[in-house]
Amino acid sequence: MSETLLSVEGLRTYFYTYAGVVKAVDGITLQVNKGETLGLVGESGSGKTVTAQSIMRIVPTPGKTIEGTVKFEERNLLRLKESEMQHIRGKEIAYIPQDPTTTLDPVYSVGDQLVEVIMRHQPVSKRYALAKAIELLHSVGIADPEIRINQYPHELSGGTKQRIAIARALSCEPILILADEPTTALDVTIQAQILELLKDLKQKLNVAMVLITHDMGIVADTCDRVTVLYAGQVCETGTTEQVFENPKHPYTEALLSSVPSLALRKETLSVIPGSVPNLIHPPSGCRFHPRCAYSRQVCIDKDPELEPIGEGRFVHCHRWKELDLKSAVAS
Amino acid sequence: MSMTKYLIRRALYLVPVFFGITFLVFSIERLAGDPVKLLTAGQTRVTEEQRQLLRQYFGLDKPVYQQYLLWLSELFTGNLGYAYTTGGGAPVSTLIGQRAVATLELQLLGLAFSLLIAIPIGVMSAKRRYSKLDLAVTNTSLVGTSIPIFFLGIMAILVLSAKTGGLFPYGGLESISPNQYPYGSAILDQLWHLVLPTSVYTFAILAPVVLLVRSSMLEVLRQDFILAARASGLKESTVIYKHGLRNALLPLLTYVGLYFGGLLTGAPITETVFNWPGVGRLFVQAINNLDFPVIQGVVVVITLMTLVANVITDIAYAYIDPRIRLE
Amino acid sequence: MASRENPTQQREGVGQWALAWRRFKKNPAAIAGLIIVGFFAFLAAFDRLVAPYPPNCVPTPFNPFCTGQYSPLQPPSLAHPFGTDSNSYDVYSQVIYGCRAAFYIGFGATAVAMIVSVLIGLAAGYFGGNTDNLLMRLTEVFLVLPFFLILLLFLKVLYYFSNTGAGGLEIEILIIGLFSWPGNARILRSEVLRVRGLEFIEASRQIGASANRILFRHILPNVLHVLIVLTTLQIAASVLIEAGVSFLGFGDQTVATWGLEFYYGFNYISDAWWVETFPGIFLTLLVMGFNLLGNGLRDALDPRLRE
Ligand SMILES: Nc1ncnc2c1ncn2[C@@H]1O[C@H](COP(=O)(O)OP(=O)(O)OP(=O)(O)O)[C@@H](O)[C@H]1O
Ligand code: SF4
Ligand SMILES: [Mg+2]
Repeated sequence: MSETLLSVEGLRTYFYTYAGVVKAVDGITLQVNKGETLGLVGESGSGKTVTAQSIMRIVPTPGKTIEGTVKFEERNLLRLKESEMQHIRGKEIAYIPQDPTTTLDPVYSVGDQLVEVIMRHQPVSKRYALAKAIELLHSVGIADPEIRINQYPHELSGGTKQRIAIARALSCEPILILADEPTTALDVTIQAQILELLKDLKQKLNVAMVLITHDMGIVADTCDRVTVLYAGQVCETGTTEQVFENPKHPYTEALLSSVPSLALRKETLSVIPGSVPNLIHPPSGCRFHPRCAYSRQVCIDKDPELEPIGEGRFVHCHRWKELDLKSAVAS
Repeated sequence: MSMTKYLIRRALYLVPVFFGITFLVFSIERLAGDPVKLLTAGQTRVTEEQRQLLRQYFGLDKPVYQQYLLWLSELFTGNLGYAYTTGGGAPVSTLIGQRAVATLELQLLGLAFSLLIAIPIGVMSAKRRYSKLDLAVTNTSLVGTSIPIFFLGIMAILVLSAKTGGLFPYGGLESISPNQYPYGSAILDQLWHLVLPTSVYTFAILAPVVLLVRSSMLEVLRQDFILAARASGLKESTVIYKHGLRNALLPLLTYVGLYFGGLLTGAPITETVFNWPGVGRLFVQAINNLDFPVIQGVVVVITLMTLVANVITDIAYAYIDPRIRLE
Repeated sequence: MASRENPTQQREGVGQWALAWRRFKKNPAAIAGLIIVGFFAFLAAFDRLVAPYPPNCVPTPFNPFCTGQYSPLQPPSLAHPFGTDSNSYDVYSQVIYGCRAAFYIGFGATAVAMIVSVLIGLAAGYFGGNTDNLLMRLTEVFLVLPFFLILLLFLKVLYYFSNTGAGGLEIEILIIGLFSWPGNARILRSEVLRVRGLEFIEASRQIGASANRILFRHILPNVLHVLIVLTTLQIAASVLIEAGVSFLGFGDQTVATWGLEFYYGFNYISDAWWVETFPGIFLTLLVMGFNLLGNGLRDALDPRLRE
């Protein structure tokens, strides 16, 4: 087996809001191996973004990570001092936020924002940093980087902004990239280009990646392994092949059946009946039980364990053994 | 390029506003009574013919619109007319000129100091949103916005001013006679007179500015680019000040531009409290004496100051925000 | 996810107002505001019972209503707990009557301001286009007007006609109201823009509901929470403005107001601190009460608007 790079265990991040405590991430466990791409899938509101933010320790107030370990190359990130953490962010782990149209500061030029990050983590001169920034823009497929570098975000298209966000993430040669729905906000044609770019860069730089998406098609296309989330918890984890061919969790089965065809990348998942549960007062027992076609009394009474079922596979369901789930996309 | 165009368009639309305001004032004040009657009240030897002569002299016998046009044409040559009584009939521009400086001195110093104090407090409060500190700042500011400026001023005078045995001179720009100057220095004397009004004024307008800074900051801090900056490992101070504050300045500027107009029009109150010889007090006197040219002059000057403040705000805005700068 | 039903009419389980009240109760600052306002409302309602002397009462032998002695600028004592002012008015009584005046001013001016704001905000937000443009330009004009100066001038005119400014309070209230709408109208407009996009309004527009019906049946109820908050804050602001006017001596001197007491006391600050201090405390407390209440309501009714 390959070497584990990031290992998250029992992660809990809650938001302490006016209306109550939102249990956005409630006991998430996942691994990323060196050089691989892990897909993190789930409906809107399932806690994908908050998981990534918790790993980076940038959860916005009133959110707090209250439990768990985030082991990254032998260090528990949750135990590091803030100043130590700053040298991991952007340098060793990079994060590409969800919406490219808003991830660049509108009042600084593209160059300013790239140079700023480069110079924060590397002892280089401003001139060198600028040259590096231009080179980066070039490497993410931006034409005329010398012009772009002096432009401001409002002068750029969504796709270009996303390329710049990717360039910024790559600027200090990270070992791990957390890409939060890198294509969702973009036009379909641009989506394909950005995905190609990510796959390409990954090959070249051999960087590990967590690709957050709610598109099973993208997972099939890009990911080595996949972790399925539901309401802040893991449903199952396995290699892409395992999960697609042989889903072990009823939610995964439902997800797969909602993908009409892998070639036809759908914008949204949910054709699953019912809606994402309230995370302030989540359903008792298994959180999926109100929507689960196989639910029994035990599912209402007791929260199942996240069981290891061999070869790096985990399932979070009382009945995985007895159920014979079918994959709508199995070949 | 288009900034100039933008400014010109703005100026064009302010022109009718300017005429509207002045004409409004012109008409209302003429409803307020007959200044000649007031001037000559109790003077039994003044005959009705003499009064009529005075009216002719002031141009009050003509229809209002003619008076207005006359005044406007004078205004374009830079002449604001002569006061009826104030300053012994001095030119209005002279009367206002002296006092406008005093007004601006107090207003601008107060605004500048309160911004200087409010920005760090508001930023800190926004940064630690929901904390005890934030709660304390918000609630204190709420109490602060509730204290009327004149009450705060009067309390300060009661406790601190020489009028009641305290340290600071009560109101005024300077001591009456040079032998009261501290160490014989006129400059020190003036500074000494500034301390009480400026500090009270600063604190009086502080609370709303703190709330403004806080809310603009909160709005910006929840934006994705702040998260992205943090995720790039930038120092927290860089995230907050370089990215956060710079963006928060945009809404702040707009508010401050409007707020300054509001403060200026409140000058009669502020200046009465501090016995401060500015245009606000001049206005109160002029109304009480029905000194029309002075009333008009003050309205013109305060409106102009407000408009200039707005234009400066616009320019500053364009300077900070590339979206306007380059469009 | 967007519902086709009007969310103010159809809500599952506990209504949103009940929820808001629950949030409100949990906020001590808001409760404090409510108590303060309630206390003042009590004083205003029963002022004649609480105050020992009639309003603006000059205690001369010829005044059958007023048994006090002619004793200007007396410090606080048992007979005059807040002392007397330069007219020999009992400051305590004046301050108590000031409560009623303050409510009158606050509610009156705010009613005027809010009617105008609602009409302009709703029209601008709903009709958009040229109407919106025109109304927003008008709003900007009102925002740069030297409102306070014009107010003083107007009141001077009143003096000219009545000599004591009698009846001036109503006019003053009207003018304050007529100049206080621009900020509120802007906020309401942006709220309307937000609500207008909701699906149920689109739907009722498509089934051909009249603009009037949509505006007042559907849009207004959905911006009501914002309106309530703005109203409360506007009350506080109006009371402050009027106090400033009276402090300068431009108010209606036939009505006992806190600002008027300030006017009387200002020339005697060094001799009689009590004439300024007590009305000032009352004024600050009431304004604070409305401000705390308004902010509490904002937190409770619309957590989104928290800042
Ligand atoms: N700042 C916040 N305050 C309160 N709750 C929050 C906050 N941020 C996220 N949440 C809650 O956390 C839960 C998970 O949100 P998250 O953004 O991680 O979902 P997601 O899986 O990324 O969804 P999407 O596909 O829409 O991006 C949601 O229920 C959301 O309401
Ligand atoms: S535990 Fe029960 S409810 Fe949950 S997924 Fe398994 S079968 Fe369905
Ligand atoms: Mg997300």
